[in-house]
Amino acid sequence: MTNGIPYEEALRQYRPGKKRALPPQDVAVDDLLRAFHPDYLEDSLVTLQVGPNKGDPCHRQLADVLQADARIDEADLAGAPVVETDVLVIGGGGAGCAAALEASRMGARVTLATKLRLGDSNTVMAEGGIQASIEKGDTPQMHLDDTLKAGHNQGDRKLVAKMVMDAPDVIRWLVQQGMQFDLDEFGNLLTRRAGGTSADRVVYYRDYTGLEMMRALREAVRNSKIEVLDYSPAVELLSNESCHCAGAVISSLKDCSYVMVRANAVILATGGIGRMHLNGFPTSNHFGATGDGLVLAYRLGAKLRDLDSFQYHPSGLAHPHHLAGSLITEGVRSAGAYLLNGHGERFVDELKTRDHVSAAILRECAEGRGIKVNGDAMGVWLDTPSVELRNPGILAAQLPKLVQLGKKCGIDPTKQPLLVYPTLHYQNGGAVIDESGLSTVPGLYCVGEVSGGIHGRNRIMGNALLEIISFGRKAGGHAVKQVHGRGHKKVTIGHLSNLRRELAVADLPMGVKGPMLFPECAKFELDSDYDGLRRGKEHDDREAE
Amino acid sequence: MSEKSEKLVNVTIDGKEITAPASLSAIQALWHAGYPRIKSVGCLEGVCGSCRVLVRREGASEVKTELGCQTLIEEGMQVMFLVFPRPTHHTYQLTDIKSSWEVQAKFHEIFPEASRCRHCSGCVRSCPKGIDVELGVELATKGRFRQAGELFVECVMCDLCLTACPELIAPNHVGLFSRRVTAYFHTRPSNLINRLEKLRRGDFHVAE
Repeated sequence: MTNGIPYEEALRQYRPGKKRALPPQDVAVDDLLRAFHPDYLEDSLVTLQVGPNKGDPCHRQLADVLQADARIDEADLAGAPVVETDVLVIGGGGAGCAAALEASRMGARVTLATKLRLGDSNTVMAEGGIQASIEKGDTPQMHLDDTLKAGHNQGDRKLVAKMVMDAPDVIRWLVQQGMQFDLDEFGNLLTRRAGGTSADRVVYYRDYTGLEMMRALREAVRNSKIEVLDYSPAVELLSNESCHCAGAVISSLKDCSYVMVRANAVILATGGIGRMHLNGFPTSNHFGATGDGLVLAYRLGAKLRDLDSFQYHPSGLAHPHHLAGSLITEGVRSAGAYLLNGHGERFVDELKTRDHVSAAILRECAEGRGIKVNGDAMGVWLDTPSVELRNPGILAAQLPKLVQLGKKCGIDPTKQPLLVYPTLHYQNGGAVIDESGLSTVPGLYCVGEVSGGIHGRNRIMGNALLEIISFGRKAGGHAVKQVHGRGHKKVTIGHLSNLRRELAVADLPMGVKGPMLFPECAKFELDSDYDGLRRGKEHDDREAE
Repeated sequence: MSEKSEKLVNVTIDGKEITAPASLSAIQALWHAGYPRIKSVGCLEGVCGSCRVLVRREGASEVKTELGCQTLIEEGMQVMFLVFPRPTHHTYQLTDIKSSWEVQAKFHEIFPEASRCRHCSGCVRSCPKGIDVELGVELATKGRFRQAGELFVECVMCDLCLTACPELIAPNHVGLFSRRVTAYFHTRPSNLINRLEKLRRGDFHVAE
């Protein structure tokens, strides 16, 4: 590890200050990103050799699972029961719930399968808020411009246009699901500013925005006609004779069985990839964020995009060790917190876009100005005491989750700065979708983090919670209209034979199985509780011994 | 790495004797010792409510309920993971409540057990977030939903109070009901409504 200033020494030198000037910044953003952003790490990318994105660059670890063998084959489905539904939603976070609620409201039979429990998702952990242009002087056009600019103009303008025009109605819909927001004395929505944007546009509930959202949505789903299958990871999609998506193979962690769910439409809302710990980074993500949806969609022929672009959130907790990667909301910087290096100096405008701020933090650490703990952690100060100094009481009132996190660390953030380091937070890309959330495979919708295109190569705070509800609802409504007359003729996992042929031709290892389902640390493949389910590599190796 | 120099402690988790660094949570300690754990794991940040555990600390007679990702291991600690209970039998749709004048009456139809609270404080003692759950239930029975809901800001719906309640009140769902009706009937932000109205009139366009 590179040199840095020892933690104790930096802490001794630290003084809270109401105002600190930012030294002139002379480095061009593109140069900074290329030099320090993890997306540009040497040898982190490979070229995909099979599938719809053959020839495209992709992160090495993601490529391993996209080009992995399936977990099941025909034999596993012999005797598996077949059930029917109109719309099958896979994923129990905000996007999945929004899609299921909308489809159900329109009269469809809806089944929602989720790997763990309903609501176990990144949504529940979201803190900062949700974007909607509602303030005087702000417009949907400005929201669109900010979104595209922050995404380095790589976003899909049509998708973003739909989303920004829909945003105020998304907030109304959430209120009608019973979600609270922070209001001023007259009942107006309070707003905060996201890094890299031109207006205060993020509405929120403390730094528990996702928790408040998920509580309301989970209760709404539980009290609807939607059938919820919990502890039920999807292990494969089903296709019909025309290679359209026609359902999914759902496994059950309760009785270790498989069931084939036939559906007119499938909505994948499986979230992101944080628990793959790309480039060895810690993550702010949920236990279940293992990129399953990307793998399932890719095998069925869905085109993906921006597989080399990920978001590292600037303020992941770096110390203490056992909490590394935990998220501290951008709302803290929005409230005025500085980032300081080991010399107590500011080094970046804290409200630049996340990729920019993260790269600047990594630069400080690489060039010896970071703060070093015991040789195993490095970071910079998140200067919360100065925020409290300027605005006494603000942390407790607006950022209770931060205060709780401080308690767990044994640090009072009103008095002592927290050590932060970028944490793997979000998958910028994902499945290519149209304005209804439909992927390039008929019958298959992808919504939320599993989809790509909205955020280009970098996302701004508050656009993820907006996207999941906006596109969740759109996909739910659109999927209901998918009618297959007398239904699919033949529903199989036939597409897997193509996959296996391609893998063999490309001489790729067949030992790796996907989707991953659970992070390595959980040792799913070795857990005797799940012996009835076909497992991946480790299990096969063990049997062979 | 510093982990090696950290103090090691001996704990029993789900009957397995484990030695692990003292800075680890119960879940991390289980993984550290090489045991698998899939269920009862979620956000690992204390906001999803999945990892319900029973905890007995050395020398203590009391068994506490906590969240496994938030409980740091201590010498002699015993930890048992709890399965998640069946969902509550209470069911309601916000749209079935016709106006805010009806909320209190509807509440007692939906949660008839709430007014039978015997003030045993089981819910309060079970709450890993330190919420005054019992007071929240009492306020809700009196129709003071906004005030009741405010108590449940930190609630992660771990259902420990639901498990603890001998009257089957489902206190966390009472809290959530209180929060939801407050938003559903009373959150009417004029800045939002004004913007929705302008959008409806077609005042805004974006260049696609």
